Amino acid sequence: MLILRVLRQEPLHGYAIAQKIRHLSSDQLSVEEGSLYPALQKLLANGWVKADWATSDTGRKVRSYRITPKGLKQLESEQDDYQRMADAITAILEST
Amino acid sequence: MGTFLRRVWHLFNRRRHERELVQEMSEHRALMHDPAKFGDSHRLLERSRDAWGWNWLDDAAQDLKLGWRGLMRAPAFAITAVLILSFGIGLNLTLYQLANVGLLRPPDIKSPETLARFKRRSPGTSIAGVPYPLAQLVASENTVLSAVLLENNTAVAWGKELMPLTAAFVSPNWFSELGGTAAQGRLFAAGIDTASSAPALVITHQFWRTRLGSDPNIVGSTVDVNRIPVSVIGITAREFVGTDNDQPTVYLVFDQREHVFPDSAFLRSWETETTNLYGRLKDGVTPEVARESLRALMTALREQQPDYIVENEWLEPAMGSANFMDQGERTGIVGALSLLGLLTTLVLVVAAANVGNLVLSRATGRSRELGVRVALGAKRSRIVRQLVIETLPLALTGAVAGLLLAGWTADSIAAIGGMADNISYAPDWGTIVVGLAMSVITVLVIGAAPAWKVARQELMAAIKDGGQQVSISLDKARLRRVMMAAQVGGSCLILVLAAMMTRTLQRVLSDDLGFEYEQAAVLEPGLGRHGFDDAGAIAYWNTVKARVEQQPETAALALALAPPLGRRVRENGYEDAPGLEVVSNSIEPAFFDVMEIPLVLGRTFQSGDDPKTTVIVSRALATAMYGSLDVLGRGFPRSQPEATIVGVAGDAHAIRIEAVYTSELYRPLSPAEYVQAILIARARGDAATLAPVLREAASIDSRILPGVGLLRDSFARRVAGTRVASGIAAGTGLLTLIIACLGIFGVVSYGATLRVKEFGIHLALGAERWAVIRLVVRHIVWPVAIGMTLGVAAAGPIGVALTSGPIQLQAADPAAYAGALVLFVVAALTAALLPAVRVLKSDPIQSLRHS
Repeated sequence: MLILRVLRQEPLHGYAIAQKIRHLSSDQLSVEEGSLYPALQKLLANGWVKADWATSDTGRKVRSYRITPKGLKQLESEQDDYQRMADAITAILEST
Repeated sequence: MGTFLRRVWHLFNRRRHERELVQEMSEHRALMHDPAKFGDSHRLLERSRDAWGWNWLDDAAQDLKLGWRGLMRAPAFAITAVLILSFGIGLNLTLYQLANVGLLRPPDIKSPETLARFKRRSPGTSIAGVPYPLAQLVASENTVLSAVLLENNTAVAWGKELMPLTAAFVSPNWFSELGGTAAQGRLFAAGIDTASSAPALVITHQFWRTRLGSDPNIVGSTVDVNRIPVSVIGITAREFVGTDNDQPTVYLVFDQREHVFPDSAFLRSWETETTNLYGRLKDGVTPEVARESLRALMTALREQQPDYIVENEWLEPAMGSANFMDQGERTGIVGALSLLGLLTTLVLVVAAANVGNLVLSRATGRSRELGVRVALGAKRSRIVRQLVIETLPLALTGAVAGLLLAGWTADSIAAIGGMADNISYAPDWGTIVVGLAMSVITVLVIGAAPAWKVARQELMAAIKDGGQQVSISLDKARLRRVMMAAQVGGSCLILVLAAMMTRTLQRVLSDDLGFEYEQAAVLEPGLGRHGFDDAGAIAYWNTVKARVEQQPETAALALALAPPLGRRVRENGYEDAPGLEVVSNSIEPAFFDVMEIPLVLGRTFQSGDDPKTTVIVSRALATAMYGSLDVLGRGFPRSQPEATIVGVAGDAHAIRIEAVYTSELYRPLSPAEYVQAILIARARGDAATLAPVLREAASIDSRILPGVGLLRDSFARRVAGTRVASGIAAGTGLLTLIIACLGIFGVVSYGATLRVKEFGIHLALGAERWAVIRLVVRHIVWPVAIGMTLGVAAAGPIGVALTSGPIQLQAADPAAYAGALVLFVVAALTAALLPAVRVLKSDPIQSLRHS
C-alpha cells in the first residue's frame, strides 16, 4: 500500500521509492531496503505497477515504476480497508 | 493483459528479468550510504521469484531431472518399463487408429454431412443396391435432393491381356459432388461425358501407381476395356478416396456402359439391384424429411412398377458424416470395437500394473533415501509428488514409443489387409491426444498409487534399520497383490481369447471344411452382363460343359449359382431354427460329387425335380430344425412347408468358412438362373491345368471374357484376414503372458532377496528346502489364483459376445481354455520358482554370518 501510495504522485525508481517512504514516514519505517524488491515484483505480477528502463538525473540507468489504473483501484480499496480498520481500532482504544 | 498471461510471459523471459533485477538491486546498493542495510541479495532474489508463483514448476523440473537421472542409472529397469508401456499404449492406439480411419472417421469428401447413401428398405428386408431405372426415376422426380450420385462396381477385362479388374461406373457428377480433383487430365463432367460422346475413362491414382508403373503418357492414350477402345482422360488426385475405403481401379461413365457391354440390359433392367444410390440433400432438408418425401415417391412409383417395388418400401438415408452407416450398422461396429477396446485397455492395465509393481519395488529399495528427505523436513505430499513426477519420463517415453509403434503397425496391418494405400494411417492429432490421455492414466497407476503407499509408511524409521522394516511391510502390501491379480487376470483372459482365435483358425485350416477345394476351378463368364437371355444361357452352358467334359484334365463338373468361397450368397433365417443362418445355393445334381460333399441320407437332385418344391438340407439344418436326421419326405420349412426334403448333405462351410452357426440349403438350378450361373470343375491332377481348359471352352462365344479362378486361391484369400487376426491375437496373448510372468518373477525374487535372513534362520533351524520354497512363493499364490479365476470367468461372456459379428469366434471350446491355462500355469510356476531356487542356491545361512 505504501509503495502504491508513493507511486501515485509520480513514477519513481527503486532507490527513490525507498528514500521517499523513509522521508514521508520521518524515518520511522526504515526496514531492510532490499525487501522493497520482492514487494515490487508482487505488484508487477499483479499488474498494479509497470516498469520501464530510464536514465536518472544522475545519468544512471534505472528502472522506473509507475502505477497502473488497476493499481490505483487497488490502492483505493486498500486505503478504504485500512481506514476502516484504523477507525475500528481507534474506537476500541478510546472506549476504554 | 490478464494476470495469468503476465505470469506466463514472465516465465518465458525469466532469465532476462532476473538479470535486470540483480542489476537494479546492485545499482540501489551503490547509491546507499550503508549498503549493509540493503539485506541479503540472494534471499531477496528468492523471495522475488516467489512473487511470480512459479516455484512449484522449478521443484517439478528438479524432480523430473532426478527421475531421469534415476532411470539413466538403472537402464535395465528403464528399458523394460518403457518396452512394456509402449506395447500397452501402442496396441490401444493401433486399434483406435484403425477404427478411426477405417470405420468411424467420415470419408474425406465434400460436405459429408449433407450426402446420404440410400438403401432400399421394407418391413423385414434391406437391400443395399437399387435397379438403375429406379435410380434415374428418383433422380428426376424427387424434390429433396440437389444432386443424385450413382455408382456400380463391375468386373471388366483390361488391355490386350484381358486382365480382370473392378471398374466403377459412376454418374458424371461423381467427382464434382464428392470434391474430387484430377492429378492429371480432367475428370468426368455433366454435359460433356454423355451417352453419345466418345467413351472416356478415369484412372485412380493407386491403380496408376501400382499397376501402370506411373506411366507419364497414359492420359490421352487409348486402352482396351472388354476389347473396346476407350480413351483415358485423367487420373484422380492421390487423396481422392470416393465414398469408402474400398477403391475401384478405373472409373467409367454410367451412360456409356453399353459401349463396353454392348449387349447388356443393365441400364434398363429392374432385376439387377446393384446400383449404389447417393443423394446430396438440399439446403435445410434433414435426413428425416428426405426419407418421408422419398417414401411418398416410392409409393407413387409402385403404381408403375408393382412387380419390383414392394408395398411400404422406402429409401433409408445413411449420412456421409456417419460413414454411410445406418444406426444399426454403426451400433454393431461400435459395439465390436468397444469390446476390442476393452481388451486392449486391459493389456494397458496389465502393462501399467506391472510397471507399477516394478516402481514399488524400486521405491521400497529407496525407503532409506526417502526417510532422509522426510527427516530433513520434506512434507508427505512432496514425497508423493516426487515419486509421481519421477515416473513421468517413463510414461512419456512409453507414449512416444507407443505412437511410433501404432503408426507402424496400423500401416502394416492396412497394407496386409489390402486397405486403400492413399489414406494415411499415421497418427493424427486425435490419436496423439488419446495417447497422452493414456499416458496420464498410466502415470496415475504406476506413479500415484505406489507413491501414496510409500509415503504412508514410517519413513523416518527407515533410517534406523536401513529400510528393512518398511521394505518388508511394503512388500506385503495389499496394493501389490491387487496389481498382481490384475495382471494375472488380464493376461489369462487375453490368453484364453487368443487360444480361441487360434483354434478357430486351426479349424478353418484343417481339412474338415466338409468339401474339397484343392483341385477345383471356377469359371465365371458373367452371361448377364453380355446380354444373354435364359435360352441363350442354357444353350451356351450345354456347349461349354460338353467341351470341358471331353478334356482328359477334367474329373467332374457342375453348375451352381454361388461359387464356393465366394461372396455372392443369399442368406435367410427361419423361425424354426432360431439363431442359425441358412445359406442357400442353387445347384446341378453333380455338385455334391464335384465338391466331394457326402450325401448323408436320401438322394441328390434329378432332372425332373421342381426347383420350387425340392430341397436338400445340410446335416446342421436338419438337426436344428427337426431335431433329427430323419427328415426325408418332410416339408420345408417345418412350420410352413413349401418344399419337400429329398436328401441330407454333410455340413460344408463352402460359403462362409469361418462361420460356425450357419448351415446350407440346396435347390435345383432353375432355367432362369443359368444366366447368373458359374461352372465348378474338379481336375484329375493339379487344378491349375484346368484354367486353360475352362478359358478355351468359355470363349466359344466371342462376347465372353471369361474369369477363371482356382478355389485354393480364393481359400487363401478368405483365410488371410483370419490368419492375420489370430496372429495378432496370439502375439498379444504371448506378450501379456510374458509381462505377467515378468511381474511374478519380479515380485517373488524381490521378496526373496529382502527376506534372505529369515530363510537362513529357517534353514539353520533345520527346515526342509521345499518348505523354504513354499515360504518364498506363498504370498503370490492367492493373487495368482484369484486373477486366473477372474480372467477365465470373464473369457466366457466376452468369447460369446465375439462369436457373432466380424470375428466369428468359436467360444465354447474347452481345448482353448485348457491350453491357455496349462500354458499360463507352467509359465507362472517357472517365473515363481526360478527366484526361489536361486535364493536357496546362494545359501541363505551364509547371509546370517555377514550380519
